[in-house]
Amino acid sequence: MRVSTSQIYALGAESIGKTQSDLLRTQQQIAAMRRILTPSDDPIGAASAVAVRQSQARTDRFDTSIATAKDALAQNDSALSSIVNLLQNARTTSIAAGSGTLNDADRTTYANELSQNLDELVGLANAKDGNGNYRFAGFQVNAQPFVRSSAGVVYNGDSGVRNVQVDAGRTMAMSVSGDALFLANPTGNGAFTAIAAAANTGSAVVGATQVVGGATLTGHAYQVNFNVAAGVTTYDVVDTTLGVNVSAGNAYAAGSAIDVAGMQVTLSGAPASGDQVAVAPAGRQSVFDTLAALVAALRAPANDDASRAQLANRLAAGLQNLNQALENVMTHQAQGGAQLAELDSLSDINSERAIAQSKTLSRIEDLDYTKATTDFAKQQLALEAAQKSFLSVAGLSLFNNL
Amino acid sequence: MSNSIYGIGLSGLAAAQAGLLTAGHNVANVNTPGYTRQEALFAARQGLFTGSGYFGQGVDVTTVRRVYSDFAVSRTLQSQAASTELDARSTALSQLDSLFGDGTSGLNVAMDGFFASLNAVSTNPADTPSRQQLLSSAQSLVSRFQSYSQQIDTLRESANHQISNTVDTVNGYATQLAKLNQRISALTGSGRAQDLPNDLLDQRDQLVSNINAQLGVTPVAQSDGSFNLFLSNGQALVIGSTAQKLVAVRNLDTPQNLDIGLQNGAGVLHFTSGDLSGGALSGVIAFRDTTLHDAQNELGRVAIVLGDAFNTQHRLGQDLNGNLGGDFFDVAVPSVQAATSNTGTAAVAAQIASAQSLTGSDYTLRFDGSNYTLTRESDGTATTYATLPQTVDGMSISMASGAMAAGDRFRISATQDGASGIALALTDPAAVAAATPIRTASAATNVGTGSLGAAAVSNGYAAGPLAAPLTLTYHVAGGSLTGFPPAVPVTVTVNGVSTTYPPATPVPFTAGATVSFANMTFAMDGAPADNDTFGIARNTGGAGDNHNAHLLGALAESRLVGGTASLDGAYGQLVARVGTDTNQAGIESTAQAAILTQALASQQAISGVNLDEEAANLQRFQQSYQAASKVMAIAATLFNSILDIMNH
Repeated sequence: MRVSTSQIYALGAESIGKTQSDLLRTQQQIAAMRRILTPSDDPIGAASAVAVRQSQARTDRFDTSIATAKDALAQNDSALSSIVNLLQNARTTSIAAGSGTLNDADRTTYANELSQNLDELVGLANAKDGNGNYRFAGFQVNAQPFVRSSAGVVYNGDSGVRNVQVDAGRTMAMSVSGDALFLANPTGNGAFTAIAAAANTGSAVVGATQVVGGATLTGHAYQVNFNVAAGVTTYDVVDTTLGVNVSAGNAYAAGSAIDVAGMQVTLSGAPASGDQVAVAPAGRQSVFDTLAALVAALRAPANDDASRAQLANRLAAGLQNLNQALENVMTHQAQGGAQLAELDSLSDINSERAIAQSKTLSRIEDLDYTKATTDFAKQQLALEAAQKSFLSVAGLSLFNNL
Repeated sequence: MSNSIYGIGLSGLAAAQAGLLTAGHNVANVNTPGYTRQEALFAARQGLFTGSGYFGQGVDVTTVRRVYSDFAVSRTLQSQAASTELDARSTALSQLDSLFGDGTSGLNVAMDGFFASLNAVSTNPADTPSRQQLLSSAQSLVSRFQSYSQQIDTLRESANHQISNTVDTVNGYATQLAKLNQRISALTGSGRAQDLPNDLLDQRDQLVSNINAQLGVTPVAQSDGSFNLFLSNGQALVIGSTAQKLVAVRNLDTPQNLDIGLQNGAGVLHFTSGDLSGGALSGVIAFRDTTLHDAQNELGRVAIVLGDAFNTQHRLGQDLNGNLGGDFFDVAVPSVQAATSNTGTAAVAAQIASAQSLTGSDYTLRFDGSNYTLTRESDGTATTYATLPQTVDGMSISMASGAMAAGDRFRISATQDGASGIALALTDPAAVAAATPIRTASAATNVGTGSLGAAAVSNGYAAGPLAAPLTLTYHVAGGSLTGFPPAVPVTVTVNGVSTTYPPATPVPFTAGATVSFANMTFAMDGAPADNDTFGIARNTGGAGDNHNAHLLGALAESRLVGGTASLDGAYGQLVARVGTDTNQAGIESTAQAAILTQALASQQAISGVNLDEEAANLQRFQQSYQAASKVMAIAATLFNSILDIMNH
């Protein structure tokens, strides 16, 4: 085939240009350390990279959420520890204050100590977190949740619990609301209460209480009324909810259990005629009210059998309530601990996921260095060859020999 | 005798000179674009009859002709038209392609950053710096959309510029071609049939090729030697010595696009996308009207779906000031453009009815005098309606004012302005609605374990918000709740089965069920005791509530776009589309360039100048010239010999 001279030059320039542009591309890839410089380099890969990046972003979000939740829960845990310590302290004080050898002045000292505990507890309940938000206020993070008033400690927060998404399909509470922690403690043994009437004149003291094995409670409130006639103590049981007598004239013996519709109460001491013990399903009491009741019980003078029995009854009831409050706080603390453990494992899973995602992204986008440098060397050689061969072809001219 | 030897020698000298001239001309024009090598044709003169037979009388130079193949040239023109079209399209596409970069700086990165900031607000909703950070990253997301849109607009503008500039250039070429036609037909008409003005013909071929590189044309040779030039759709551009004028005109339906038109008397003949093929212009127009157009619509769709979904959820929340959430983003409204040819008075309005159902297509609404036909341009689906308004593909289309005349049409695009029109509507960090407007609570005196889960509100709540706190009371007899508002029915959903209770009837308490009434929803859990109460109240002061922020964050993964793709996913599809188109165009362009190279090679094999060949020719004719001179010298010697005899 005839070849025109301009074609020799044009083709030569074209092939050099093409080799040069290939070389430049490889050089850019090496410089950017990426295989895909623009989507057209690998459209499917580029779109997959967008998807993987989205997953990565989600993993990052979970990571942030897990870290935040861990911080919040760890701070909560230390706040709850302080509260548990304080309540255990108060419990020890209350037990010590029940010793029969104490006089009114000693008890006042204990009462002052408990009152001090109450103040501290209000302070702890009003604690702020690292962001300056009230920790136990529910969603009302900007308003002091626990305020002392004439009616005791009033809660100004709400029941809001802040949830945070820590994994696909797993949201976790990272806060505890003040009402759940401090207010809604069941009274008595958790199922029912047995309260000696304040007007009792006898020395009967409410001891152990329990639900008789397997019994279903009626939910009614009852009253046990004592009669002492001719040195014999009997009691009647009245269902105050329905206003009917359940039983009458039962014989009373100190230390033996009284069964009230499945609720068993053991009394010690000697009740006087007309003394009453109310047996009712458990209500709810705030830990502040419990402490305040203990303080009030210790401040009341106890210098005869009746008032000593009264003191013993009030201390026992208060201690029972305090135990319930303590248990509630400890349950929350244990729950927080379990959440922290779960977060640790989620965090591990998340890290593994992040590594897997980086690997996928790297497989899609990253350059195979060995291949790229080999290509580069090959293309360099090709360019040199194209240049040299062009020069020698262009140098061949018959005119040189004329 | 010697007379005729002189004559023969002279003719040889003249022929060798013609050969040298032609070879010299070839050498001189080796770099002239469009030059076709020429050769002098020789023929032996008719012999002189004598008694001894015919004696040759020398040589004649018949003519100088171009070494030319019609077939090779027309094949080259065809491949050139295809190659320049694909090359222009590929070049334009790679500009769009590089806009989307390598994935480390794309829209998805801004979107991920936005949702990360939202997550920070979700974990600490009362924190103003986190809220400020959310607004900043929302602003950067919005700016990213706008910057993409601007760059797409720039690409469209540069396509438009290229059209208007090229139209001028082509007009210039066409005028020159018409003039050349005139000269060529005058010259060929006056001389011998075989004597053609070779260099003028080359110039004309070059002009045709220049035009063809911009806009595919077909030349048709006429008997008078002139060329008529036709566009790919058969419209004449040059007839003889008359050139038609091309003009750049605004598209009738989408005035932001320039189209090519042909001046036709007083009017202009419009060529729209696909009417013309071949040449760089066709490539640029194809790019502008397909990938670029679709990319803008798709980007707009992502922006609108994001803005709309976010706004909808945001309005269901409550901000730090205790107000219901407002719009977070400003979302673009659909664009409606009346065709410039409309004669009616109608103004058509389009609204987004459901962003998630939008397609990325444009629509054309036509009126034939009695019915309206709406055509979805992406697939040509046409639907006919007797009346407006109608809701189609997530858009509601209505007549805002006036009346249509038969033949009127409107171009409607819901997504075209989506990316340029999205803006941040909030400036106050406190106005981010991270909380839910209502909250639930269990009374502190409750004995049972029953509880109401976190409450949420649905669309329509803003119109009838909770007026006063509600207290729901559980009654063990019947196991139900009372205390719902007196006038609204209550729906309880258990395991996907919904039961609606008429107003003022007790609603059974079922653990795990969802209760909804008056656009409020909450879940029930646990086992309440008799007379336990639950409160539902406005979330006054709920600065620490993150429930709505949480729901907003869930939008990142929701399949919002067309119900099938997440926001990032839709962006990924767009990237894949642009990448695939660019990649494909690159491959096609390379393939076509190879075909063109081949066509050029075979054309050059016939018509190109080879300097070595010319060197040989020069050598040959030089020797012929020397030989012919020798003939003359011998003739002179012969003549001198006769003279010498006479002198003796």
